[in-house]
Amino acid sequence: MTLETYYPEQRQMLSTAIIRRARLLPEDAFDAEVEMAMGARVGVRDVVARGSTPAPFLVIDAAAHFGLRRHDQLPGLMTAGLGDYVERGQIIAQKRRRRLTAPVTGRIVQVENGTIILQQLSDAIDLEAGLNGSVIEVRSPRGVVIETMGALLQGVWGNNKRAIGVLRFEPEGGVENMDAESLDLEYRGAIVILRQSLTLPAIRAIAEQKLAGLVVPSIEVRLIDAALHAEGAILLTEGFGGMRMNPQISTFLELMAGRQGMIDARTPDADGRPELFINVPLANERPSAPLTSLSLQIGMQVRVVRADMPSGYGQVISIPGEPVMLENGLVCPCAHVEMVTGERVFVPLGNLEIAGR
Amino acid sequence: MTAMPAALSSILAVDFGNVNTRAVLLELVDGTYTVVAQAEERTTAGFPNHDVSIGLGRIARQIGISTGRMMLSPDNRLIMPEQADRSGVDGFIATASIGRPLRTVLVGLVPEISVASALRAAAGTYIDILDTITLEDDRPVQERLNAIILARPDLIFMAGGTDDGARGPVLELARLVRTAVSLMRGHAPLVLYAGNSDLRDDLKQMIGGVADIFFTDNVRPTREIERLEAAQAELGSAYNRFAGQRGMGFDTVSRLTQLGVLPNAQSYHLVTEYLGRIGGPKSNVMVIDIGASASTISAWVSGHVSTSIRTDIGLGASARSTLDIVGLEAIDRWLPFITYEDEILSYAMNKTLRPGLVPDTLRAMYLEHGFLRAAIAGLVDAARPTWTPNSALDDLSQPLQHFDRIIGAGAGLCNTGRPGMSAMLLLDALQPRGVVRLQLDNAALIPALGALARLNPEAAVQLMDGGGFEDLGTAVSLTGTPRAGRAAAEVTIVTRGVTEKHKIEAGMLWLHEVSPGTQADVTIRTARGMSINGARKVKFTMAGGSAGLIVDTRGRPLSLAVDAKGFAAQLSNWYAQSTGDPVREVSIGWLEDMMAENIAGVQRETVTQPAKRRFGRGPKPPKASKIRGNSPAGIRDSSELPEVPVYDTAKPASGGRRGVKKLGKKDAAASDAPAPQTELSDDDLRNLLS
Repeated sequence: MTLETYYPEQRQMLSTAIIRRARLLPEDAFDAEVEMAMGARVGVRDVVARGSTPAPFLVIDAAAHFGLRRHDQLPGLMTAGLGDYVERGQIIAQKRRRRLTAPVTGRIVQVENGTIILQQLSDAIDLEAGLNGSVIEVRSPRGVVIETMGALLQGVWGNNKRAIGVLRFEPEGGVENMDAESLDLEYRGAIVILRQSLTLPAIRAIAEQKLAGLVVPSIEVRLIDAALHAEGAILLTEGFGGMRMNPQISTFLELMAGRQGMIDARTPDADGRPELFINVPLANERPSAPLTSLSLQIGMQVRVVRADMPSGYGQVISIPGEPVMLENGLVCPCAHVEMVTGERVFVPLGNLEIAGR
Repeated sequence: MTAMPAALSSILAVDFGNVNTRAVLLELVDGTYTVVAQAEERTTAGFPNHDVSIGLGRIARQIGISTGRMMLSPDNRLIMPEQADRSGVDGFIATASIGRPLRTVLVGLVPEISVASALRAAAGTYIDILDTITLEDDRPVQERLNAIILARPDLIFMAGGTDDGARGPVLELARLVRTAVSLMRGHAPLVLYAGNSDLRDDLKQMIGGVADIFFTDNVRPTREIERLEAAQAELGSAYNRFAGQRGMGFDTVSRLTQLGVLPNAQSYHLVTEYLGRIGGPKSNVMVIDIGASASTISAWVSGHVSTSIRTDIGLGASARSTLDIVGLEAIDRWLPFITYEDEILSYAMNKTLRPGLVPDTLRAMYLEHGFLRAAIAGLVDAARPTWTPNSALDDLSQPLQHFDRIIGAGAGLCNTGRPGMSAMLLLDALQPRGVVRLQLDNAALIPALGALARLNPEAAVQLMDGGGFEDLGTAVSLTGTPRAGRAAAEVTIVTRGVTEKHKIEAGMLWLHEVSPGTQADVTIRTARGMSINGARKVKFTMAGGSAGLIVDTRGRPLSLAVDAKGFAAQLSNWYAQSTGDPVREVSIGWLEDMMAENIAGVQRETVTQPAKRRFGRGPKPPKASKIRGNSPAGIRDSSELPEVPVYDTAKPASGGRRGVKKLGKKDAAASDAPAPQTELSDDDLRNLLS
């Protein structure tokens, strides 16, 4: 590995930037349709595309119901046609006084071999914009690309929910100790930032205190299900376990406190990450889009991440040309980093993240 | 796709993995293809680039820097063909193991027969089995129909019936498939049939009108015989057809190659077969690649090659599913400290979030290597039945077949930077018996070779014969139960006319330097009670390697100490023996049940119900720890229980036997109880006591 061309992982923490995000319906959505035109202004809750989920099918053994000896007799008994939408209880076939009614509301999709197959009504999918901005590209029929400007903090995990609210740090006593009887209006509808690992009472506080969402450093794995079922959006900045919030992230959020933020707490996948977008006043100049190709340089601020510990920030002081032996005996390409605490450590290149530019 | 010149004087081969993209530059030097440069970059399929061709540009630039050869034009395009000034390359080949696997519904008659064989055939390519429909499936027709349709499969793989066997039941399942396919609006899956070959015409007539159906040899022509090769080849073709549409910039990369982007598992199959054939029918070969999101194993056993891919076993994006497959105990058995299920789960989840993380502490390394060993063992267990094609009945309780050569691949095995450690990890996980040559494919040459073999088989052969793999050395593993403090073997090594004799103690990994490029004549005599694949004495000539000669006197099956202190000493000694480093002692705090002590001492009054399982060779957990509480349901149940202090304050004795621990936490257990004065996280407790 030639170190001068190493491109570290980016987990963006930007005070102003142009942010462009694609919002697309799932691949398996039916009847997909884009609702917004190119250039349209969208709000976080605006629906940019609609579709429907694949709906289950119902097989009705009509031949047995009517006691038909020959299956080709069935089409002659149908009172509703192939492709027709039928209401629950509506007669769909009749032989003298014997009637066959639709057990569900749906569409007749097949009449064959003495059976009638009904497809139940699909659930609608309303794809929300997830951020305030403008549509800069329409990817018909699945969705759009939205552009916005503001501050951005990328997290590591989210509970697949979205929220919009003012950013507030938790009260001194902790969000879990807020009095449910006397709701604190300052926190109602807010996105609350916790510096400690998420607890079950804090998850409950989302509903009790009517919070829009939480930004937290970490969560114990056994609380994942509770977080997924929480009423608000939850975004993790560190990972799983009992890790505290990294002081640099905490400082960044302190600067943003009181501003309106939008959490898109998607669970991370190949298409995207959980993110917090924050409205910030912009100078006259349009900010630039984040640079996607930033190679590791001496003097660069880096975030040192680990699978079993909280992250820390530091500055690259050298990039050794040869692999370095770590304290555990592994030998790998490293950067020499001076942490904010003053400690100097060799960090495997794979454990470095940069905040972007 | 780009046509390549007939005579390729230089070839750039790139393999796109989930975390890393690796490249090798091959050049024709004096009529022989040689690896002249290799490079590695992070894959750029995900955020923020979403385009693998960006990583290709970066890696080409890296190769350019290391060789002084200009690879990219000013507009960042790969220069092809090679120019008079030696810039660019004549050929470019690409392989990949990333992207969504082929979504597949499996339809077969009997779970233990045709379905089992079909599953083994499917294991040879990147396939995700979404549902399995069999005759024994007791779901109503409607549910089975919905299972197929709502899965939105890319492929329906049908098997069932021996040749000249069952007709009616197969046709019944085919009717279900036909109905399902006819109801899939705007999404027609491929249908592959590998069942009773007498029914092909019937199936073509029944399904051909509503979907593309293609046929291959019956995977179970008789009840006793299994034939997977033809089905595996067809499944590979189906994947290739589908993979062309995977996005992520592969269309750009594909246009640069004559062959398109090939799945790298096919290369493993091809290379293993070649190595097996040159070794002869009695020579068994294994190639095992543990990746971040998918893992592959190819084995040449008794003149037959078989490849299995698991898209749910890996050390990065698949770490969580690996844990589900192998189980917590399989990982914990390799951890020289007392731990809790939360720590193992958190580690897996954090690796899923950040698959490229390198373990940079001793504890993290033990966790990582615990996952690695368990993943290898799990992959082998799943694949072993496919290694014996003429017998569908395999006994996994039998020791692993003897292998003459084992090649490891994937960052977990190759990127330790310590040849002896990589060798030890392979030995621990596979526990081979007898004499085995160990190698690593740390340049990711195998994917390149497989693809190259399609363009220029001679070039691929030259590279395989020319030492493209890193030779770790030769390992000799003794079978039997070693007796501590006694000699297990006597080794005589003759290198360049110099004879050395060594007595090797039982229970250790003994490494002796035999440098790459040299040869040594080795004679090993075992002590009473130990043997080398049944023999008391073996004599062989070995080629040198980066780890050299490894004599493993730890016995087979490998016997791990049952007490915490004993195992910590055992494992840290093995790491030291494999690397030549001083022993990295395991902290004494790691061997104590810190959580129990803290909760007992600090929070005893507030802890009401346990929520964590503890693992390790420590004292047994308190009785109440059997109550689980790591799900919302569990949490609710726990909070309904009366609040009682459950922990014994007696200090658990360190060095006790291994056991599963699960300790209480306020969150999951007593969430409705008043808040405790102090609540310490796992990390706090660990920090406090370390």
